[in-house]
Amino acid sequence: MAGERGITRNASYNDGMNDHLSGLRYAQMIQQALMPPAEQLSSLLKNHFVFFRPRDIVSGDFYYAATSGEYIIIAAGDCTGHGVPGALLSILGISFLNEIIQIKAVPRANRILNRMREKMMVALNQKGVVAEKKDSIDIAICVIEPMHGIIQYAGANRPLIMIRNGRIKEFKPDKMPIGIAPLEERSFINHRIELEEEDSFYLFSDGFIDQFGGERNKKFKSGKFREMLLSLQERPMNMQLKIIEKTFYDWKGSNPQVDDILILGFEI
Amino acid sequence: MRLTAFRIENFRSIVDTDWRPVSPDNITCLIGQNESGKTSVLEGLSLFFTGEISEDVLRSDLSLPVVSCRFQLQGNSPASMFPSADRELVTLLGSLQEITLVRKWRADLESDLYAGGEVEEYYSRLAADREKETLSTLDRLRESETDIVDARERAGQLEKEIALLRNQSESLTSENRPARIFRWKGWGAGTTVSDESVAIGEKLDKRNAELAEKKSFLEGVSGIARGLDELNAISSRIAEAEDTLREISALLEERHQTMTLLSGQTMDELSAGSWEKVLRDYRDVLSLLSSLRESWSEQVAVCGFLTDGLQYESARIGAGKLFGKRRAEPALDEMGEEFFKEVPEFHMFEDFGSLLPNRIDLEDIVTGNDRVEGYKAARNFLTIAGLDYNFFQQPSSRILKQKIENLNDRLTHNFQEFWQQYVGRHNKIRINFELDHYSTNHGDKAGKPYLEFWVKDEGERLYPKQRSRGVRWFLSFYLELMAAAGRENRQMVLLVDEPGVSLHARAQEDVLKVFEDIRGNIQVIYTTHSPHLVDINKLHRVLAVQRDDTDNHRSATTILDAISLVNASPDTLSPLQSIMGNPIGNSEFAVDKVNIIVNDIGTYYLLTAAVRLAGFRSNLHFIPSVNSSSVPLMCNILLGWGMKFAVLLFEADREEKVEEQLRMMALGESDDGPGIIINVPQGFRNGEDLFSTLDFKNHILHTREGITTLNSEYVRDNEMPRNFLFSKFLADVDAGRIKSSQLDEETTENLDMLISILEKY
Repeated sequence: MAGERGITRNASYNDGMNDHLSGLRYAQMIQQALMPPAEQLSSLLKNHFVFFRPRDIVSGDFYYAATSGEYIIIAAGDCTGHGVPGALLSILGISFLNEIIQIKAVPRANRILNRMREKMMVALNQKGVVAEKKDSIDIAICVIEPMHGIIQYAGANRPLIMIRNGRIKEFKPDKMPIGIAPLEERSFINHRIELEEEDSFYLFSDGFIDQFGGERNKKFKSGKFREMLLSLQERPMNMQLKIIEKTFYDWKGSNPQVDDILILGFEI
Repeated sequence: MRLTAFRIENFRSIVDTDWRPVSPDNITCLIGQNESGKTSVLEGLSLFFTGEISEDVLRSDLSLPVVSCRFQLQGNSPASMFPSADRELVTLLGSLQEITLVRKWRADLESDLYAGGEVEEYYSRLAADREKETLSTLDRLRESETDIVDARERAGQLEKEIALLRNQSESLTSENRPARIFRWKGWGAGTTVSDESVAIGEKLDKRNAELAEKKSFLEGVSGIARGLDELNAISSRIAEAEDTLREISALLEERHQTMTLLSGQTMDELSAGSWEKVLRDYRDVLSLLSSLRESWSEQVAVCGFLTDGLQYESARIGAGKLFGKRRAEPALDEMGEEFFKEVPEFHMFEDFGSLLPNRIDLEDIVTGNDRVEGYKAARNFLTIAGLDYNFFQQPSSRILKQKIENLNDRLTHNFQEFWQQYVGRHNKIRINFELDHYSTNHGDKAGKPYLEFWVKDEGERLYPKQRSRGVRWFLSFYLELMAAAGRENRQMVLLVDEPGVSLHARAQEDVLKVFEDIRGNIQVIYTTHSPHLVDINKLHRVLAVQRDDTDNHRSATTILDAISLVNASPDTLSPLQSIMGNPIGNSEFAVDKVNIIVNDIGTYYLLTAAVRLAGFRSNLHFIPSVNSSSVPLMCNILLGWGMKFAVLLFEADREEKVEEQLRMMALGESDDGPGIIINVPQGFRNGEDLFSTLDFKNHILHTREGITTLNSEYVRDNEMPRNFLFSKFLADVDAGRIKSSQLDEETTENLDMLISILEKY
């Protein structure tokens, strides 16, 4: 009888899990649908790649691409947590971005983040009081001004890496998330970069850098990550993706993936 | 008739207000500092009606007051009042839309009231024509007078010479004629007596002939001579009367001086009885002089007729007819008196003068015993209630009590409508009166009826005197106003000095409501310092009163009407500034600055702070309107004041409507227009939208709560105290607690944009 009960329990558990998984897969489809399809990205960015590896079925990382008039807006976000909680936040983030770029004004990368933070604080009911949830999104956002040959960047805890003429430059982000800040909310800084031909830019979450692996089972780390990107510069973007992918799996080995992973690279 | 304008001269601090209009909608408000002369204006107008003044209203130069009022004619044409007047005058009267009445005081402090304005001008022209005629007659008379005087003198001489010659002639006929003749004239030998006699005879003949001629001439001009003699006699009497008048006037002036300078001390030299005689003499002499001057004019006319060749009696008859006709014409003062019967009653409201008594005998009300306390208020009360003595003759006390109760309800309801201020938490004030009779222990009054008054709230029953000053004032005011409004026989100009100084701001606004309610029947002119008693939408009602030299309270009072308010001092305009929500005061109404009207006080604070943060130094300053819909009004005022200005408009829907109105007022983007419209670019619906959300939160709201709407929408939706928040922000900026370096790039860019727009102006 006990065995029967166990079998019954297991069957029930398996059914539940199946339902759960199918729900998650459906959620994954929705999340994927919210992120720009490959064709859209291709129409906006001449050469690019997206290395997007959720740890679970749904992801706390997300990427975003849209246009506002003559401006192209590209972002890569990393929500606190991963899996379902992260995915929910990412959906909020995407929908906020969609709302913000509707504003009829010249888009400014930092103002987009400022507004996004306001929306996030309202959505999460964050008012700066003690013991409230600190959920947030880290994000790097770029506004490309093709007509002016300018790229704007603003970062909430996420940097931007630019490689120009074989040299790497990292634009530091503001140490604030999209969400309530530890002490006070300040305006994000808007960086304006004059574009040069063959400049490459990389937006990324911290999943790759924090991935444990290698011979000593350590984190990949940002220095190595920068070296990796720099080493790819002679390669086209599709090749870069393949090498990054291989590098990742080689590094991870049999270790579990610790976090969602997102790298968005594009070349001007 | 309706008062349209007034002019006060030589009254207390007023030298000459010149003509000042009162508001056509019957409510006129005098604003100004203490001691500016506002009350003097009201008193001057009140005295126009009563005519009664004392020395203490005289100016130090003892010039005598003149108060003139202009009235709009309503109903009957003044021509119909004077059917016998000259046709030209009747035509003039028929064409008048307004009439002017002038009250001019004399040295005895009595006054003359006469028609002024166009009627006076007509009379002046007439008088000038007549004077010209008189002067021409006098010129001719002077020639005749010279001839007559010469003829009279010559005739006198001739008579003397003739008498002498006759004596000589008689001497020649005596015995010693030759010797005497030689001695007399020393004629030489050979001259005969006969020759001398002939010569004398010839001389006599010549002189007699000439005398006859002179007498004939004098006989011919005897009428003129008589006329002249009588004219000269009148002139002498006039000179004599004028001498007397000068003497008496000197006495009067001395008295005025003493009374004015020594603050009411009487002159020791003259007892009251003697003083009365001086005044009587003064009036008698004035009357005599007037009569003599008229006689003199008539006598000139007589002489004129005589020089034209009429006989004396005919000339008298001719002049009599002429002057009889002139006397039949209405004189200026007669016209003044007639017109005066039609002008509104000027009534000076006295604070607490109409306070309801606790109790008053019905007999005192019926007999009109105005010496008893509260008579006026009780009378007013009964007028408002529509009661007379007959009401109290109701034989059934039960029915009477029921009627009184109904009346109490009605009066209370009406009173409450006017005074909306809650005195208690729930109940409003009730006014009650009761009819009762004295008990037997009241002696003579036993059994007699009396009225008792109560003012109640929240069940507490108190006598009027037991109520607060504010309640008493308002009740008193209410009774007087409503009673006056109920009098249909004469229109009224109600003069109110500082209404409602004891009242709460809300109740002061109720005073304005009462004014609005009664202005159909009553014109109200009041003084105030309170912004609650000036209607922002009716600034045309305002007259500003100030001293010529605002630092000198002994300088003369000046009155400025709406279109000249730009010249008023900031202190004078402080109530206006308050109602316009202008917090800065002294620098705001300036012609030498670039005035930019903004939609409200909150925006004023924000933009003032913004300009300071942006470090923009110019003579630009903002003038706040009360709200967007008041912007056109503010523009009207500044247009009237002749000030250059611009209007800053945001994108909000309501301001688009304002822009439409402004464009109808010929405002636009061009410098050539009366004012310039500056449109802030789209996306900024109000001043606070110039600030980034973050700066708005950090520096103004001091909150970390997320804001996902425009700042202006957030403030509106959360009903935030906008003016308070923004005034504090301005204070923080002024104190250096907020610096431009603390603003983010979004705010900085927006402020730079604003400044670049404003710089163009």
